[in-house]
Amino acid sequence: MTGAVVTLPPQPRPVPELTADPGGIRAYAADLLAASAQVDDLGSFVAGGARIPAWSGAAATAYHDAIAPTGRRADAMSLALRGVARRVDQHADTIQELLERRRTLDEERAALVDTIAGLQQRIGTASADEAAALQAESDDCTRRVRGYETELDRWVTDLMAEEEAMRAAFDRVLTLEQVEQRYAGVPDPADEALDAMPGAGAPPADVAAWWEGLTPEQQEAIIAASPGAIGNRDGIPPWARDAANTVALDRDLADWGHLEDLGVLTDDERAWLDNARAAQAAIDEIEGRLDPQTEASVPAQLYVYDPAAFDGDGAVAVAAGDLDTAEHIAVTVPGFGTDGQSADYQANRAGDLYEATRSVDGAGSVATMFWIGYDAPDNLPWEGEGWDGAGVAGESMAAAGGERLADLLDGLRASRDGEPAHLTAIGHSYGSTTTGLAAHDHGIPVDDLVFVGSPGVGGGTDHVSDTGVDPDHVWAGANSRDPIADLGNHGWFHLESGLDGAGLGDDPAEDDFGAIRFQAESTDRPDHLDFGQHSLYFDHDTESLHNISHIVAGEYGEVLLADPVTDPWYAGPQDPEWGRDPGAPDTLDEM
Amino acid sequence: MEVPLTLAATARSWDEQHLDLDAAAGQVEGAPTGGFTSGVSGAAARFAAAWARHTTELGTTAEARADGLRTSAADFSATDGGVAALLTTTAMGEVR
Repeated sequence: MTGAVVTLPPQPRPVPELTADPGGIRAYAADLLAASAQVDDLGSFVAGGARIPAWSGAAATAYHDAIAPTGRRADAMSLALRGVARRVDQHADTIQELLERRRTLDEERAALVDTIAGLQQRIGTASADEAAALQAESDDCTRRVRGYETELDRWVTDLMAEEEAMRAAFDRVLTLEQVEQRYAGVPDPADEALDAMPGAGAPPADVAAWWEGLTPEQQEAIIAASPGAIGNRDGIPPWARDAANTVALDRDLADWGHLEDLGVLTDDERAWLDNARAAQAAIDEIEGRLDPQTEASVPAQLYVYDPAAFDGDGAVAVAAGDLDTAEHIAVTVPGFGTDGQSADYQANRAGDLYEATRSVDGAGSVATMFWIGYDAPDNLPWEGEGWDGAGVAGESMAAAGGERLADLLDGLRASRDGEPAHLTAIGHSYGSTTTGLAAHDHGIPVDDLVFVGSPGVGGGTDHVSDTGVDPDHVWAGANSRDPIADLGNHGWFHLESGLDGAGLGDDPAEDDFGAIRFQAESTDRPDHLDFGQHSLYFDHDTESLHNISHIVAGEYGEVLLADPVTDPWYAGPQDPEWGRDPGAPDTLDEM
Repeated sequence: MEVPLTLAATARSWDEQHLDLDAAAGQVEGAPTGGFTSGVSGAAARFAAAWARHTTELGTTAEARADGLRTSAADFSATDGGVAALLTTTAMGEVR
């Protein structure tokens, strides 16, 4: 028998290795951008604070003549460095794309090699009658190999072109002479844009409209040159706030780290540096996690960053996920003992909530953000630090925080176009008082409102209807052993609030209040009140996190409900959850 | 008396600029180049080294402006004498 004679396809060339890390490239760009902001500061200083109008005479003239070129040089250097930083960022995007294309090519090549090997095997045992069919298959494979080779050539060309373009961008402004030639006297696109920025106190919607009216070049310029102008401004979209705050954070870490190295850090700067490092640790905590659905690194956004706020306590908010696009957004408001140094701890909670919500069956995209944006009581009562220090027993700090929280939530709403996110505010501990006051005093644009471990939701909020949120979407979680959750007013007589703000308002888990109570017991609860139970609401595999994550995901039917606390006139508060056997639902394994 | 004190205060601001620019120079110098391909990392390292120098030079210029203003403030006070000299001397020290 004569065997089949078939011409086999050529072997496809392997894809060249591409060793690069887009994240590392972006880190390089971030350092350049932060440095450019510092150089820009010098230019602004020369144009303003460095001038001494009251000084006259020859020495004054010489001084002012001498500093002008320094300012011009700083302005030109800032623009040049910013331009390169932006180009490096684009380079990171392009390299990312090339890495993905390489992966696709590699898979296509592996498939072709397999196909050719299979053909070779079949030809070895085929008869002459089968030759035509095998040749047709082989020809088809040959066409695929040619298509692959064309794509491979294009990929190599694109990589080389990108590398060449990046090198050229570096070389164009390598010397100060090149910088002067290219950028001297060039106006900063940020300046005109900032002149038109709405003033302090303008509604977030006005700020959002101003930002949207800027060109991309102006937006990038402001992020680099004046990150402080927009980083914490409600109405600015989250991606831009994150970019600006990242510039500010990188610059602060470098500046104060340098002073620390020199041994000349002041006490204030020490506190600010510690807050900056805590913010960075919070970002690292979130980015170090893997998304339960995609197994990719969870993106973090630095939404608020002000390390010197509240007399050095600091303000910071970091989101796990993308606030610009997420279908479900949760904002957690912490309470007692919270300041900038707590960022890492709060990031851990936000990360757990993100993971649990993404694990909910049918959950879409999610972003969970912790918000340390108000001056919370410094003391931890359960560590023997008392109940009344720093105004804990009063509502003043929560009232001020409530106003800030309402602005923040308004800003989140105003900064997004298209389909609005399903937005949930979650107040924990004293943060529930803050959240309750934000709802009652200012109105907050949330879809769901959750109180956990609440010592009271603020005076004036006696009933769920006082929150301004749909009563079917106001929730309360209270561990029966949590002493903090037992602090709210009980019964029909609002005693504590009646004493001119001596208490923190009503218990939202009580029947009179009217919220939907969900189960929030822990399996390791003791048979007595225990402060440790106050810190378990966001832990994985707890009833509480199971329920909060389903509320955040809008999957209300899966929330495990609990009967509310009652307070009959003839006895003290009665909690039906006290005697129930708690469960431990798996908060990572629903999908 | 107002002018020498202003000169001294402005000198301190130049000092702060100097420190901040030194920090920025360190940041540029330490910018990580490990993420780039081998075809680009050399150019990135060269750029960072050059710009660390540029930024350091800018910081040195700021320091010189601070020193110059302190000298002017001292001259001013020497001619003004008395209380102005005392106050200016107190305010004239470098920030750190």
